[in-house]
Amino acid sequence: MGLAPYLIISMILFILGIVVMMARKNIIAILLGIELILNASALNFVAYSRFLTNNIDGHIFSLFIIVVAAAEAAVGLAIVIRFFQVRKSIHIDEAVWLNDEV
Amino acid sequence: MEYTIFTILPIFLLPFLAFVLGSFIVKRSEKLAMAISTVSIFVSFLFSAKIFSDFIFSQFSKDYYIHKYFNWFDLSSQGLEFSVDLGIYIDNMAAVMLLMVTGVATLIHVFSIWYMADDKKYGKFFVYLSLFTSAMIGLVLSDNLLSLFIFWEIMGFCSYSLIGFYHEKEKAGEASLKAFMTTRVGDVIFLLGIVAIWGVIGTVNYVDIYSAIANGVFEGKMVLGISLATFAGFCIFAGTVGKSAQFPLQVWLPDAMMGPTPCSALIHAATMVAAGVYLSLRMYPLMELGGITPFIACVGGLTAFGAATIALVQTDLKAVLAYSTISQLGYMVLGVGVGAYNAAFMHLITHAIFKACLFLSAGSVIHSLHDHQTHDHVQEMPRMGGLKTKLPLTFLAMMACTLAISGVPLFSGFVSKDRILGDALYMAMTNKVYWVAYLLGALGAGLTAFYMFRMMFLTFFGAPRDEDVYKHCHKESLKWNRNVPLLLLSIFTLGIFFSGSPSGQGIVKFGGEKYEWFKVLMVKPIPKNFTTYSKEKLSTQDNRDKILWPKSSYESHDYGLNEEDEHRLHTAHIISAIASVVIASIGILIAFLMYIRQSFSSERIISRAAKFYKILVNKYYMDHFYIKIVIRRGLLKFNRLLANFDLGIYDRYAIDGWEHISRYCYRIADFFDRYAVDKIGVDGFGFVIKDVLNKGLRFLLAGKVQFYFIVLFLVLAFYMFRISTA
Repeated sequence: MGLAPYLIISMILFILGIVVMMARKNIIAILLGIELILNASALNFVAYSRFLTNNIDGHIFSLFIIVVAAAEAAVGLAIVIRFFQVRKSIHIDEAVWLNDEV
Repeated sequence: MEYTIFTILPIFLLPFLAFVLGSFIVKRSEKLAMAISTVSIFVSFLFSAKIFSDFIFSQFSKDYYIHKYFNWFDLSSQGLEFSVDLGIYIDNMAAVMLLMVTGVATLIHVFSIWYMADDKKYGKFFVYLSLFTSAMIGLVLSDNLLSLFIFWEIMGFCSYSLIGFYHEKEKAGEASLKAFMTTRVGDVIFLLGIVAIWGVIGTVNYVDIYSAIANGVFEGKMVLGISLATFAGFCIFAGTVGKSAQFPLQVWLPDAMMGPTPCSALIHAATMVAAGVYLSLRMYPLMELGGITPFIACVGGLTAFGAATIALVQTDLKAVLAYSTISQLGYMVLGVGVGAYNAAFMHLITHAIFKACLFLSAGSVIHSLHDHQTHDHVQEMPRMGGLKTKLPLTFLAMMACTLAISGVPLFSGFVSKDRILGDALYMAMTNKVYWVAYLLGALGAGLTAFYMFRMMFLTFFGAPRDEDVYKHCHKESLKWNRNVPLLLLSIFTLGIFFSGSPSGQGIVKFGGEKYEWFKVLMVKPIPKNFTTYSKEKLSTQDNRDKILWPKSSYESHDYGLNEEDEHRLHTAHIISAIASVVIASIGILIAFLMYIRQSFSSERIISRAAKFYKILVNKYYMDHFYIKIVIRRGLLKFNRLLANFDLGIYDRYAIDGWEHISRYCYRIADFFDRYAVDKIGVDGFGFVIKDVLNKGLRFLLAGKVQFYFIVLFLVLAFYMFRISTA
């Protein structure tokens, strides 16, 4: 088995993430999309590290990515909760307060 | 003695700062302005006395000089050199000049304290005197013609304001204008000469000019068809003619007597008018090269004689002195013309001293006499007479000066004037042209003796002619500031200070023998000596160290004469000395017979020669000539022509035409303003902001996070695509 299948899977994950982020209006779904993109990149790191180099830098990086993803999810969910408390909704198009046309 | 800028410059700066300071405080305290002015000139006199003693009594070299300068501005660019240096140049001549100027000025300041005491504009007078003195000192210290010209013009201005000091009097205003405009004629030509020299050798420094003469830079150069040296020499001499009141520009000096008497003494007798002669002496090598010396000699002789004849018939005390000043300046110029370099310079110094004294004495006389009808001072000699007993000290001083100016042996005038005439006679033996100059000069000497003694006899001797004036004349008060200047100056009318001793052997000792200091130390600049001159800057030492010349060079071989010519020169001097003594005694004798013995009355002579008398009273119709012919016929017509040109052509076509052009330009500009700027620029900009950008940005920046994300993603994708295909 070579590098290609990993990259294909990673690409599928990435595109799914992008689509979710663009198409869904639910903020939690968008956060899920971001998680997908981060996982795609982590998978890429591991795959490249395994097939192109002989060290474990990629693995370390993917661990960091998982940590960052966790932190980001925590902050994101906190924002969502505050948002829901204020607007009684988690629809992304509600978050346009800086626009004077509200 | 090492000279630095700090030991030389105060001579100039002190009076100048006194002027600056004085002009601010004169409104507050007239007395303080007077004190500052007098003290500063006195300190500056002490500095010059130091320089004088160093140059004359301890250096003993005729070739010693100090030249320090700095670069004033430099506009040189590729191929074109144009830089101007300012500097100080002191040689023996400048050292003597400095002492004379500051010394005479100090005494005149002191005298003015008494003379001007009752005047309303007491302080202002001293402020002007300070400016004047500093300008004169600056002129003497200058190392180049440009800064000399600047100071020359400042003095012209001072002369203008001091002649017009009593500008309430209409006559004084006119006289000041006349003096200013007349000297301006000479000054413009002088400036032309400076430019001509500058154009050729690129600098107007004295030493550079001398070395250029020696190196033959002037040879073969032509201006307007005449050789450059002649042209430049003539132009510079024209400056002398204006400033030193030579024929034909002498008309301003007699009118200049409208100013207060001390300023007449300082400006129109002792120093400013001497500046012209000083300039001629400085530029002597150039004039010699240009071959205009015979011309100069004739102008000098003519002035000496002509002014003396006018002085014969003057009745105003100051007018007699004014014409005698012109006449004596004529002798100096005559001396320059015949190459009597140190004699001319000596006459400049001796004349400055005795003429300052004469004017101060005249001031002392005039100040004592009042007319009780008009409350004015009396200047007319026919109303004087018999003042000998009332003003004994003034009489004494004036008598000494009269003896000096008349050329009586043992007095300074004899020493200097006789030398000029001796050299003139010697030149006349070799070149016929100089006979004119010599004869005019010798005759003028006789006339000088006559009119000066006439003045003395009319003023001090005989019975008082106007009892009222005589009765109210106060007996001379013994005030130090009135009498000390007079007596000090009259002491220096003795010839011994200039010749060294009555026999002519001097007090300068060198190599075991005594020399006459004036003759030995004031010599013509020899251009050859300046060929090795190299420029060094201000901070360095004196450019030339003290040179002790071997004994032989103190002998008159400097003149380039051989034994035989030497003998002839000696003979000429003896002949002319005897001749001038005889002529002077005849003049004095006639004056004595006419005014004391009254053997023959002057009225009879006047009626006999009524025609001549009328010509003399009208000053040879020179004023008429200038006013009626030159100004009315020439200049005013020319003026009108120019006015016509101005109004008819320039005004109508150039100015009005310009107006039309402006109108068109205005219309185009208006159109442009209205449409291009206003409509397109201002309104268009508003439209773009309001309608285009506003709506577009509203659409773009609606706050839709996902829209931003899409744009971001597309841009990133685009870059990725570009990078991967590159």
